[in-house]
Amino acid sequence: MASISKAEKAYVQSSLLSNPPLRADGRGLIDFRTIALESGIAPIANGSARVSIGTNAQDGGGGTEVVAAAKLEVESVGDGEGVDGGRVVCSVSCSPTAYPLLSPNALDDLQHDMTSVLNATLSHPTIRPKNLCILPGRKSWLLNLDVIVFSDAGNIFDAIFMAARAALWDTKVPRTKSVQYRAKKSDRSDATQAMDMDVDETAHVGSALDTRQTIEVADFELPDYWDEGEPLNGRQAWPVCLTLNLLPALHFLDATLQEEASVPLKLLVFYSFLSDATPLLRGMRLLGTGVSDLVQVNSLLKDGEKYARNVWLALEGKLKDEDLRRNQKARERFLNR
Amino acid sequence: MPEITILKRPREEAVITQRMFFKKTARGKVIKVLRERYLRDDISCGVDGCRVCDASAQTVLSRSGDTTHKNFPTGHYILPDTNVFLAQMDLIESNYFTPPIIILQTVMEEVRHRSLPLYSRLKALTTTDELKVWVFYNEFRSETAIVRENDETPNDRNDRGIRKAAEWYNAHLKLAHPPIRGQPNLAPPKVVLITDDFANRQKADKEKIPCISVRNYVDGMKNSDQLLDLLSATGSDEVEPTRAVAGRTALYADYLPMSTLLAGVKAGQLHQGHFNANQYNYLEGTVPVPAFTKPVLLVGRENMNRAVQGDVVVVEVFDEREWKAPTDEVIDQEATLKNDDAEDSEEEGDDLMVHEHESKALRAEHTKKAPTEKQPTGRVVGIIKRNWRAYVCHIDSTSLTSSNATSLGLQTVFATPVSRLLPRIRLRTRQAPSLVGNKILVTIDRWEITSRYPEGHFVRTLGKAESKEAEQESLLLEFEVPYRPFGKAILDCLPPEGEQWVVPPKSAAIPEWRDRTDLRDLIICSIDPPGCQDIDDALHARRLTNGNIEAGVHIADVSHFVHPETAMDSEAAARGSTVYLVDKRIDMLPALLGTNLCSLRPHVERLAFSVIWEMTVDAEIVDVRFTKSVIASKAAFEYGEAQLRKDDPNLNDKLTQSIRLLNSLAQKLKAKRMAAGALNLASPEVKIHLDSSESSDPVDVEQKALHETNSLVEEFMLLANTSVAEKTQGSFPQTSVLRRHLPPPPTNFEKLQDILQKRKGLKLDVSSSGALADSLDKCLDPKEPAFNTLVRIMATRCMLSAEYFSSGSVSRDTFGHYGLASPIYTHFTSPIRRYADVLVHRQLAAAIGYTPLHPSLHSKMHVERIMEVVNRRHRMAQMAGRASVEFYVGLALKGRNEREKEVTEDAFVIRTFRNGLGVFVSKLGLEGLVMFKRDTQFDAENYTISVPSSDIGQPDVTISVFDKVTVRIEVEKDKNTQRGRVKMTLVSPVDSRAL
Repeated sequence: MASISKAEKAYVQSSLLSNPPLRADGRGLIDFRTIALESGIAPIANGSARVSIGTNAQDGGGGTEVVAAAKLEVESVGDGEGVDGGRVVCSVSCSPTAYPLLSPNALDDLQHDMTSVLNATLSHPTIRPKNLCILPGRKSWLLNLDVIVFSDAGNIFDAIFMAARAALWDTKVPRTKSVQYRAKKSDRSDATQAMDMDVDETAHVGSALDTRQTIEVADFELPDYWDEGEPLNGRQAWPVCLTLNLLPALHFLDATLQEEASVPLKLLVFYSFLSDATPLLRGMRLLGTGVSDLVQVNSLLKDGEKYARNVWLALEGKLKDEDLRRNQKARERFLNR
Repeated sequence: MPEITILKRPREEAVITQRMFFKKTARGKVIKVLRERYLRDDISCGVDGCRVCDASAQTVLSRSGDTTHKNFPTGHYILPDTNVFLAQMDLIESNYFTPPIIILQTVMEEVRHRSLPLYSRLKALTTTDELKVWVFYNEFRSETAIVRENDETPNDRNDRGIRKAAEWYNAHLKLAHPPIRGQPNLAPPKVVLITDDFANRQKADKEKIPCISVRNYVDGMKNSDQLLDLLSATGSDEVEPTRAVAGRTALYADYLPMSTLLAGVKAGQLHQGHFNANQYNYLEGTVPVPAFTKPVLLVGRENMNRAVQGDVVVVEVFDEREWKAPTDEVIDQEATLKNDDAEDSEEEGDDLMVHEHESKALRAEHTKKAPTEKQPTGRVVGIIKRNWRAYVCHIDSTSLTSSNATSLGLQTVFATPVSRLLPRIRLRTRQAPSLVGNKILVTIDRWEITSRYPEGHFVRTLGKAESKEAEQESLLLEFEVPYRPFGKAILDCLPPEGEQWVVPPKSAAIPEWRDRTDLRDLIICSIDPPGCQDIDDALHARRLTNGNIEAGVHIADVSHFVHPETAMDSEAAARGSTVYLVDKRIDMLPALLGTNLCSLRPHVERLAFSVIWEMTVDAEIVDVRFTKSVIASKAAFEYGEAQLRKDDPNLNDKLTQSIRLLNSLAQKLKAKRMAAGALNLASPEVKIHLDSSESSDPVDVEQKALHETNSLVEEFMLLANTSVAEKTQGSFPQTSVLRRHLPPPPTNFEKLQDILQKRKGLKLDVSSSGALADSLDKCLDPKEPAFNTLVRIMATRCMLSAEYFSSGSVSRDTFGHYGLASPIYTHFTSPIRRYADVLVHRQLAAAIGYTPLHPSLHSKMHVERIMEVVNRRHRMAQMAGRASVEFYVGLALKGRNEREKEVTEDAFVIRTFRNGLGVFVSKLGLEGLVMFKRDTQFDAENYTISVPSSDIGQPDVTISVFDKVTVRIEVEKDKNTQRGRVKMTLVSPVDSRAL
């Protein structure tokens, strides 16, 4: 986003293309800056996380910072917007301080672009969690995933997707129990007086032939008010994003703002790695003014998969750590006060 | 000053510091709620002289605890589990139950979650002085706070919290009682966990926490005899395994789970409403539901399915072809179930017998019925809310096993509630023989599907049946009238001068005189019923120089003494109104206000709230103003006295002229009201003559006399109320307190119209209140002057009752008062005895800019909530008053029977049954039932029955509704229940003793 002069641009490009490639912060081409992640930061949300990339260790300044929070809402299917089986709606908003140079209109456009990338990938029906359904055909959960960009020091998409994945991983769906009422014919015959036997008999015949008697699920209840609930179904499947910054003849990862401004083309790839299956490419995007061809993209995808797997594994490990920290360890600390 | 510190916690501790839960709203949304929790180390244990806790902390528990229990000689405190409060509240509240109690916060919260009424009783318990109760906030003390484990149910978590607190307490007491050198080493007192939860006891045993079940605990107490009776049946499961529970057959269907009920009601397949038992037929009840115009009928025990009068139930409605009509026969529980034995009523054989009996009683009825009379019929499938409370009962003496009539053994007996709407209650007691013949208070604990009757326990005895004290208290209890004396906090709200309080001398600097009009020179007088002590209204009228008349109504300025959000105000709001019994008045406000400071006595200066009109001679209002004032009434008249004064041509003083002026205006006002379509309704009102104030033995009953001056006062009060209603509604359109009377649905009159048409050929036009008033005027029987009054009484019963409401809560077009034919109405004129009037006073004072309106009266919710209470209390107060009159009528009749040998009175037939007549004795204001032993020829269509003539050979005599008959009235003591009841038999046209 940073606007830089042609001279600066040429300087950055030539250093990247030199042998060995040189980056301003001394990283290799495929090295990431430090990534920090914390989940459960918004207690009122059903799941939340904060991700920062390249934050200065001394003062906590600089770097890209993104917060994602998931909130569940009950929707009725049929008369409202609700979709049977639930839905996921994502939105990205940018704090004006993250992009101080942009006009409000330009900021809106940017938010919209980011939202469309995130929404197209995450709200796809194929990865919709099964347990967003409350009552089939009647009630379902609407999962609102809101991502806020607090500051952008480059590589914003990777940060957004990481925060989104962590927040969704952290999301717990309150357990629900469906309740129903069905008039039971057989039950009633015991209660009625013996005098209307004939009436009763016809009623019995009627109910035996009546195949239309469907289960009328009317409403749901929360069996345990104190319980946070269960994690989203298939939470492993939420993808990570990897941005390949393309400078003809080479690509590099985790670009800073100056580097981003110096490359003509970026390739975003969204991968998920389920333990037992082959890696799944959930989508890809080319951003920028440059051009590319299929052969190049093909080879880039292969590289991208490799890098994405590393990001995935690191994230997976950290998320499990977070779960541990927030539950078991917190309890232990409480007991050993 | 304690130092307040706030601990700022890092977010990592969220699991501990935040309590999270979900809430499902009424609209179906799920909300996540977070509560912060700050743990502290300075929450005191409440034990006297504890050296570990902060010495300045308040303490309640004695240092050595209670040493009288035989299991705990070193002293103990009890720490009851939630189930103890849920099931055994009567035990804890008993005067004999004295051990010091520690109530945990966890327990308080659980009780609140499970039952609000029990929670408020528990709250009351913590503030009484007699009991030593300490509330320990265990969730906030850092040592006793716990965090819910993964996969732990809320119940287990709370149990663990309670055990943890008990454990901590025991350890804490050890520290607080260190061995002192040179003295024998005394063991510290114990904190004993009391619970009826077996699993919890087991776990506590494992953790070495002293614990015991309720029954075992009470067994070891020094006055266990009295206390064991108070144990509720719920807790006694495990100690009475003798009965083969599994072997019993279920008499009732199980209730559906609550969530299913709510879902069904929401989907419209089930219906929710209040259960109303039929007082003539114990096997029938109705549930009014919004979905049908007629209430849903429940026929038979199985379909009523353990619902008790007042419960909020959910009913399932049957197919239309199974609909039935209500019975027209009287089925008396006592008669039908006379031989049912309390001990053995579970036995199979007996069961069948009763069942046959009952179903025969029912079947006889429902076979032949006109289809038009059928109404929705259904059965109860679940209970939303039980409205069980303590009921006044008698012990059924026949249910006592004769062999142990003098022993003190535990036995099962029946208690028959005084109210005919309630089923018999089975209870176990050791004191049965001593309770016979007494009025006692019994609480229902549960009603199992295998048990025909609900099970309950004995609470306390009220005294000998038919003694005035017992009857009076039972009346108050039965109608839930709060009758405790006013507490200290309430009396502290009164002016400190007490009886010596006077209006201070006039001066601008004195707050009492701020913005008050000085009306001390006006010729004001009050007119009230004889013996009235709380005079809340006074009147005046005088001619103005322009030819118009100034008339004023002056109401005691109660809101000057009763300020919002004081103890006195909330007590008055809870009482709602003063209750008048024949020989006792239960005040809403302390007597100092009611009978002195706010009573507009003659010849003393009093603060008042005045409504002053300027009227033309034809009673057209030219102007009205409202003002706070100071008045000095010149005289206090009784109705009769004022009437005499007005009619005495020799008197011509200013006071008399004032009364005459008022009277002429009142007559014109009344004429206008009648022209607008106001109803002239009648209700049986009788007056009880008491012998003397001490003995209060009723001597005689007479109907209340009505003077012209009654109507004088009434007209001006109506006018004042209407004027005030217009003013407050204009100023506070959202929250003004008003009173309305909805027009009755025409279906209510169907039966009366039909009877009048068929029996007398008279038509009743119910299209509007005016039309009804006109047609009521035409309901005349030249031979029978009382007939008109009777029709009016019956018409009144078809109407809805008037109610208070908040103007913002209902739509504008339903504000009207049907009976008074007034578009808007409120109650302003009796603030001493009605709480609604106090609120209206406050609103009017704000409307005229005298004081700002208290914020609570701006809240629609708040006003609605108060209106609900006030409406209920108002209804209960009326019923209690009527019941009191009834009791005294009974006493008077008993006296007359002794003197005159036989009492006969004229009566009108108001209802016909297959086996009896409902009659109304207008002279006594008494309604009664004449029962025939055998069936008669009953014509439901024409409301007649034919009974064989007493003279052999004569044709049958036909009796129909509205016929005048003569009845013999006796008061007989029911053999089983010791309940005195009026028994009527027909004398003419037929002597029914032969039938």
